[in-house]
Amino acid sequence: MVLGIGLVFMLAPLVLVFASSTHTTSTLQLQGLQWLPGDQFVQNYGRIFSFQAGFTDEITPLGMLENSLIIAFSVAFLTTVLSLLTAYAIVFFRLPGKHIIFWFVLVTLLFPLESRFINTFSVASSLGLINTHAGIVLPALAAALGTFFFRQFFMTLPKELIEAASLDGAGPFKFLKDIVLPLSFSRAGAIFVIAFMIGWNQYLWPLMISTDDSLYTLVRGIRFIGQESGPGMAMVVITMLPPFILLLVFQRWFFNSLSAQS
Amino acid sequence: MSKVQLTNVRKTYPNGAEAVRGVDMEIESGEFIVFVGPSGCGKSTLLRMVAGLESVTSGQVLIDDRLINDVSPAERDVAMVFQNYALYPHMTVRGNMSYGLKNRGLPKAEIDQKVTEAAKMLRIGDFLDRQPSQLSGGQRQRVAMGRAIVREPKVFLFDEPLSNLDAKLRVQMRIEIKRLQRRMNVTSIYVTHDQTEAMTLADRLAVVNDGKIEQMGSPIDLYNNPATLFVASFIGSPQVNLLPATFDGQHLISGDLKLSGFGDLPTSTELVLGIRPDELRLDESGPFLLRVDIVEQHGSDNLIYGGVLGAMNDGDQETEFCFKTSQDMLPDLDSTLKLGFNDERAMVFNKVTGERLR
Repeated sequence: MVLGIGLVFMLAPLVLVFASSTHTTSTLQLQGLQWLPGDQFVQNYGRIFSFQAGFTDEITPLGMLENSLIIAFSVAFLTTVLSLLTAYAIVFFRLPGKHIIFWFVLVTLLFPLESRFINTFSVASSLGLINTHAGIVLPALAAALGTFFFRQFFMTLPKELIEAASLDGAGPFKFLKDIVLPLSFSRAGAIFVIAFMIGWNQYLWPLMISTDDSLYTLVRGIRFIGQESGPGMAMVVITMLPPFILLLVFQRWFFNSLSAQS
Repeated sequence: MSKVQLTNVRKTYPNGAEAVRGVDMEIESGEFIVFVGPSGCGKSTLLRMVAGLESVTSGQVLIDDRLINDVSPAERDVAMVFQNYALYPHMTVRGNMSYGLKNRGLPKAEIDQKVTEAAKMLRIGDFLDRQPSQLSGGQRQRVAMGRAIVREPKVFLFDEPLSNLDAKLRVQMRIEIKRLQRRMNVTSIYVTHDQTEAMTLADRLAVVNDGKIEQMGSPIDLYNNPATLFVASFIGSPQVNLLPATFDGQHLISGDLKLSGFGDLPTSTELVLGIRPDELRLDESGPFLLRVDIVEQHGSDNLIYGGVLGAMNDGDQETEFCFKTSQDMLPDLDSTLKLGFNDERAMVFNKVTGERLR
């Protein structure tokens, strides 16, 4: 019952957006959003691929898609790798003060990216990262969540495993490659999906760090085409698709690792 | 075929806790040594120092006369079997067994041959392509042993390998470990808190207490001639009967009891008389009057537990004896039995130092 209500609340906006994306702009403006599919599917979606926007230079939705993919994949990949390595170091090495380091990492969870925008911006600008993909990606990588997640998993591994491996002649690198990585695969998939969505949905930071229209992402680009237009709705649908597809591909790993110990 | 030598080995943890306080030991090639002791006595730490998983604070660890204090675990050429097996969960049985060999860069054909051979010896040949999660506890234990065997190490180290198995399997595996060790003739060190395992497996037994070796010798020697009160009470099941007493120059006095047949003992200190349950016998002229509390029937023999009337008490607790006798001996509860003992086999300890006096 609760699940049913939840489902309705979650699905309704999706249905609304998809249905509306198949109506003409005038229908939407005169009659509001539509619950039933219309007949403008081909026109609206076609319009997106012939559309160009920009003030200083030109950007097409395909270009935005490319930007979005580059940024989201970079964020996802680097977040996964970095948090895995950080957690590996924290759990398996005898570092002086490693608990303090870990808590320091964890505390950053408390501060949203927005709270350190000014400092991050000045650092990024002094590194010459303004108007680059790297400038959008790098500050998003300080992701304590992934580190925490991997740490919790590594702590469940019996310490005898690393001892057995060291007797088997596996040093820290081999242990990581042969034992830890294969065991972390499904969890890494989950973090990848989450980080991908974070990277994909970024709005405020890309807005600050990039002024070139050529760096527009899909999420930012929606505004060019008009939120309340048919093509705008179509673009919203397109924007939602990649994370959705990714989740579908990764779903088995994703749920396995987030729910129980697989 | 290698000998292991420990010279004044100590382990102090950074927090100041002393786990091992000066151990000297020489283990001959092919010997099966068991470290036995209560939990927290330092026996596992000692084993792990030989393995290289624990650093040595001071002293020397030698394998075949080579100092290995600072040699990495992999290069010590030792193999270890862990209590929780520590199998790599994502690898097949074959993968688990061949991982160490692969890291050594052995050719694939040779690895295959060794794995197949070891698997045959351990009767896990049918499981080679399964994951550990698909195996039973006993099978996992076999794989863990297989992983150790294929490496043909100089020394086998066992850290309570049977503690996670059920009783029946434990006995089976115990026999199998002994058989394997005999057959391969590899120097082995085995840590356990189970004294039956210790007695049955060991060529020589080291009783560890509080970071020190209390006594080392063949199991039967330790049983018959314990050097200390601790060894006497730790080795032997059921436990040795202990009776607090003092010596008046001619007799051992314990409460109202006066025991003759003892001489040459100090009169000034508190003593403990130790009598094994199977050294007691029914004897109308014997000194002990046992009030029967519990009769345990173990099948071939019965264990009769009860308080010793008139004996000196240790604190509030009544001194209790266990009397091992044949299965047809079934006294009523609360009846009394007159018991004598073999005074030649009785042991006397200094209660304070634990030292054996007789």
